[in-house]
Amino acid sequence: MNSDELPLSLEELEEYFVAELEDGLESIETEEIEKGLSKKTMKLIWMKIDRDNFRDAVKAISEIQVPHLSVASGSDKGDFIELIYHFMVNYGYPEEETAVNLKVELPKYDLTIPTITDIVPGAITTEREKQEFLGIDVKDIPDDRRMWLDENYPDDRYPWRWDKTGMEDMSRHVHEKEQTFEEPVSERVDKEEDGD
Amino acid sequence: MSMADDDKVTYEVPIGPIHPALKEPFMIKFKLEGEEIVDADPHPGMNHRGIEFMGMHRNPMKVIPLAERTCGICSIVHQHMYTTAVEHAVDIVPTQRARYIRTIMMELERIHSHVLWAGVAAHEIGFDTHMHFTWKIREKVMDLLEAISGNRVNYSMWTFGGVRRDITEDMYPKIEETLDYYAELYDKLEDIFLGDPSIRHRTKDIGILTKKKALELCGVGPTVRGSGVKKDVRIDQPYAAYPDLELDYVLPSRYGYENIGDVFSKTVVRLKEILQSIDLIEQCVEKMPEGEITSEGNKAALFNKLKRASGEGIGRLEAPRGEAMHYVRLTEDNEDVDCWKIRASTYNNLATYAPMFMGEQIADIPIIAACIDPCIGCMDRAEIVNLDTGEKKKYSKDELHELSVQKTEDILGGIDI
Repeated sequence: MNSDELPLSLEELEEYFVAELEDGLESIETEEIEKGLSKKTMKLIWMKIDRDNFRDAVKAISEIQVPHLSVASGSDKGDFIELIYHFMVNYGYPEEETAVNLKVELPKYDLTIPTITDIVPGAITTEREKQEFLGIDVKDIPDDRRMWLDENYPDDRYPWRWDKTGMEDMSRHVHEKEQTFEEPVSERVDKEEDGD
Repeated sequence: MSMADDDKVTYEVPIGPIHPALKEPFMIKFKLEGEEIVDADPHPGMNHRGIEFMGMHRNPMKVIPLAERTCGICSIVHQHMYTTAVEHAVDIVPTQRARYIRTIMMELERIHSHVLWAGVAAHEIGFDTHMHFTWKIREKVMDLLEAISGNRVNYSMWTFGGVRRDITEDMYPKIEETLDYYAELYDKLEDIFLGDPSIRHRTKDIGILTKKKALELCGVGPTVRGSGVKKDVRIDQPYAAYPDLELDYVLPSRYGYENIGDVFSKTVVRLKEILQSIDLIEQCVEKMPEGEITSEGNKAALFNKLKRASGEGIGRLEAPRGEAMHYVRLTEDNEDVDCWKIRASTYNNLATYAPMFMGEQIADIPIIAACIDPCIGCMDRAEIVNLDTGEKKKYSKDELHELSVQKTEDILGGIDI
């Protein structure tokens, strides 16, 4: 997209996404909130997209401007995990910045999502976080090492999950009762045993 | 240590978690060829406290004090983002007077944070006299924050729909006095950090972040504004009272410097933002509207409303360190916060470390590490499992208490207390 056309209004953005993504777009909503005495508005777009069209949607956003990915938030909703990628477009134009929130639902039996680090290199931190906190498998992620959790933290437990892979039994009153989870064996001990 | 094809030896040097640059636990693994850095790999997570997890087990009211404890320096920031995210989710509109009070508090915190950073930066390059000078002048703004809110840190000012304490007219002289104090001292501060030849020598052309990299890696705040990137939530997507105020992007080029993206550019941005904050607070005091300080006076009704509320919201602002955001979702069948995601500024700036360190010298590691104004407490957020990795022993609360009593007795050498 030509930079002369920026900034795009909320209606133009909506039209653009509908035209670019066609049937891949499950739903699109726009929202404006008034701020301050001068009644200027904060603009948001909420989009829901199928996993197969997810990369196309990110590419469509990246054609507007170098995309700014604030963060991807995620939560366990029972049978599926919902990821929301919060992108910002129209930055650098006073009062025109629009939040584009891209929702993707991943079923529990197939928790995979393609990486977007080739389109948005800055997404690496948040993709690594989703892997360890929600147990999502980000396909083709350039760096899949654990980032935030301790190396002794069990591999099959995920702090933000509400099912049996969550950490409810590990967290309550940590200092008051004996913890019930099995202590993980560290990798280093395994290797020594293999060597013997 | 490994041998490259051309007989160059690469050393791997881990720096941290107890760090010469930062007082917070954080590790960066460096690959070095002689004195030159060829790779930098940050390893965060030493300060993980599970704040998001704790928040998802509390009702929305209880999360306000928890949110501000995410970070000591930018506690207002997290409080504001959390409350605005919930306000967005359940359609609570804060009063206009509250918006102005919030803005004054946030700008005071920006002065506090930037003055503190200047001290840290001086310390990293071995200029401890300047560190003591800046930290001495920082006391003044902390005193003002205490006079307004009652606390020097963790101010507990925010509530849904507004604030808990008013800024009354009898506080104006104190605010003016503090702003005058910083306005008078500003020239000296600028003379030290931008004029001193030895500081210039240590910061000019060091730790360069190009504009292209800054955009690609989604960097935020003064870190990218030093590279000439126009990103400032206060202007782009104004919140609180910022839509009514006059402000512009602080880029080094506006003040006759180049937008190189080195440590010096970032210093220029932070110092000039102190002046901008003084101006913004003056504007707020002048334009402050009359009225209530909160739109949700009845706490019991608010509590009941939040219990049954459902919706999702985003709270976003320009923290002293750059853009930050919270995402909150409430659902009807869950009294607690259903989903809470904190994203602090350092989280996004973490990726900008690698290009900044590349090709620099070992001696410049501390100042480059400090130049994004890292805040590990904000970024990490959780430590859940209490394991002693050496002995694989878990201590109960009683055992820990016994150990601490034992330790005290040892120190006192049998003196009866």
